[in-house]
Amino acid sequence: MKKFIDESWLVLVLGIVFACLLAATQTTLQAKIDDNRARALNNAIAEVVPGLADKEELEVDGNQVFKCLDESGGLVGWAVKASGSGFIDRITLVAGLSADGGAIIGIKVIEHVETPGLGNKIDAGNPFPEQFTGKSAGLPLEVVKQTPQKPNDIQAITGATYSSAYVTDIVNDVITRIRPQLAEHR
Amino acid sequence: MAEENGSNLQQFSDGVLANNPVLVQLLGMCPTLAVTNSLENALVMGMAATFVVVMSNVITSLLRNLIKPHVRILIFTLTIATFVTIADLALKAYMFEVSQKLGAFVPLIIVNCMIICRAEVVAIKNGVGRSLADALGIGLGFTIALSILGIVREILGSGSLLNFQILPDAFVDGHSWVIMVLPPGAFLTLGAVVGIVNQIRASRSKGGAA
Amino acid sequence: MSIGALMGIFLGVALVNNLVFSGFLGICPFLGVSRKVDMAFGMGCAVTFVITVSGVVTWLIVHGILAPVGTAIGQPHALDFLKYVAFILVIASMVQLVEMYLKKFFPPLYTAFGVFLPLITTNCAILGTCLYIDMKPETQSLLNAAIYAFGGGIGFMVAITIMAGIREHIRFSDVPKCLQGAGITLLVAAILALAFTGFTGIGK
Repeated sequence: MKKFIDESWLVLVLGIVFACLLAATQTTLQAKIDDNRARALNNAIAEVVPGLADKEELEVDGNQVFKCLDESGGLVGWAVKASGSGFIDRITLVAGLSADGGAIIGIKVIEHVETPGLGNKIDAGNPFPEQFTGKSAGLPLEVVKQTPQKPNDIQAITGATYSSAYVTDIVNDVITRIRPQLAEHR
Repeated sequence: MAEENGSNLQQFSDGVLANNPVLVQLLGMCPTLAVTNSLENALVMGMAATFVVVMSNVITSLLRNLIKPHVRILIFTLTIATFVTIADLALKAYMFEVSQKLGAFVPLIIVNCMIICRAEVVAIKNGVGRSLADALGIGLGFTIALSILGIVREILGSGSLLNFQILPDAFVDGHSWVIMVLPPGAFLTLGAVVGIVNQIRASRSKGGAA
Repeated sequence: MSIGALMGIFLGVALVNNLVFSGFLGICPFLGVSRKVDMAFGMGCAVTFVITVSGVVTWLIVHGILAPVGTAIGQPHALDFLKYVAFILVIASMVQLVEMYLKKFFPPLYTAFGVFLPLITTNCAILGTCLYIDMKPETQSLLNAAIYAFGGGIGFMVAITIMAGIREHIRFSDVPKCLQGAGITLLVAAILALAFTGFTGIGK
């Protein structure tokens, strides 16, 4: 027993000292880290639902949904955080729906690891995500390679048909599964 | 590599050049390939690793007379894991976007062989001054090696440097060598750089042998 | 969980997102131990064993100890700061176990591995896999985590064995002096990484 203590007292002391140091660091910095995480999501929601002054967070069928309100508390729209598989790995986006749930007012992809130069054109600032703005949320959207013919057509990114299809799938899931359930939270 | 003789300055410069952890000792390959797709990522990773190796060397050196041989690897590991956790928390708090891009490679600094190697070879046997010089040298050498790769891969792969576009639009818009920021490009660049470094070393020793 | 989904996780990490060719993990042993096929295969098996056991044990620590204790005191992520320390200690212990086992029951293999055996602890593929299991939403169940860890190990073994096969052939080629060893291995790895890119899209 004495030999054990002789050999390892430093390990135990260091273990305790380091554990305290780490606990202190985490406690000090945790608030800032949580803020950082929330900021990315909040920025996306503000971009997708213009005119929002306040939000109420809800959980609808497993998804994070935000009821977006203006200064007087009136409903201006809904922001739904949704994710699904992408071509390389998961894609997470925020989809904005109009107050009556009838139209898509915009989407913003917030997390993805799609191919740079091809699949990453699902990011904001490219023509692809802008196509979703104004689409009716009544019918599921279809991805086409040529110029869109029907109102619910989305044109795929050249050379990134899969990434385009995966994003559209996630949006379709929002409008077919989540949208009908929003009415009861109005 | 002198340990008893030679100055602290020599120890420092060895870490940067003659004993460069990535290009000469061929350690720490995983982050070298993974985070050099942009110069910003490379620099932040270099900074984080330097912080860890400095703290590890200094603490090991201060405690060197108390550390028993049987448990030394365990103590090195505990120390390194602790400071990597601190570095990770600090990055998540103050450089959130970059820490997202570095992903799991910040905690993977724990298993970066070069850090535990310095503790075993230098810090356990030398005073704080020497250990600190060694840590700074190795850290700087690591950062420089990563930056060289970062510069090559970012310019050729994205046409930019530190997110400032420096190559003309015609190159960037869909014609940049995207492969350079993907895995095959990483292996290719590192292989080429290692080859060049070996060539330089070989011709130096031939020239200076006399 | 359906067999299809489990196969998806397995192939996803073994081929599509191969630890070496797309995750940049395990590069040091990949360069160091890929000279001969039998050594490479042996290393691959040892790593697969350590990854699978470590992946499961670290999952149990996170879900069985760190999270419940945190929840009990009202802050689910309170003990997160202990994760990295706990993970590396588990891995180091597993490698020690493998070393003792080999020394006792397969002494020639133990001597053949030499210093590479304890170095498995610093194989970033193992710690990396434990970290990814902790981060990814699809590995939040024990079975998925185990399959993911096992798949990762198999992927590493495939990568290192293919490289060893190629290097045994290259021995008879005229490689320029400055590229011998690490240089040419990296360039071959570039081509292999390119080949493995063909696996993307199997996702769905």
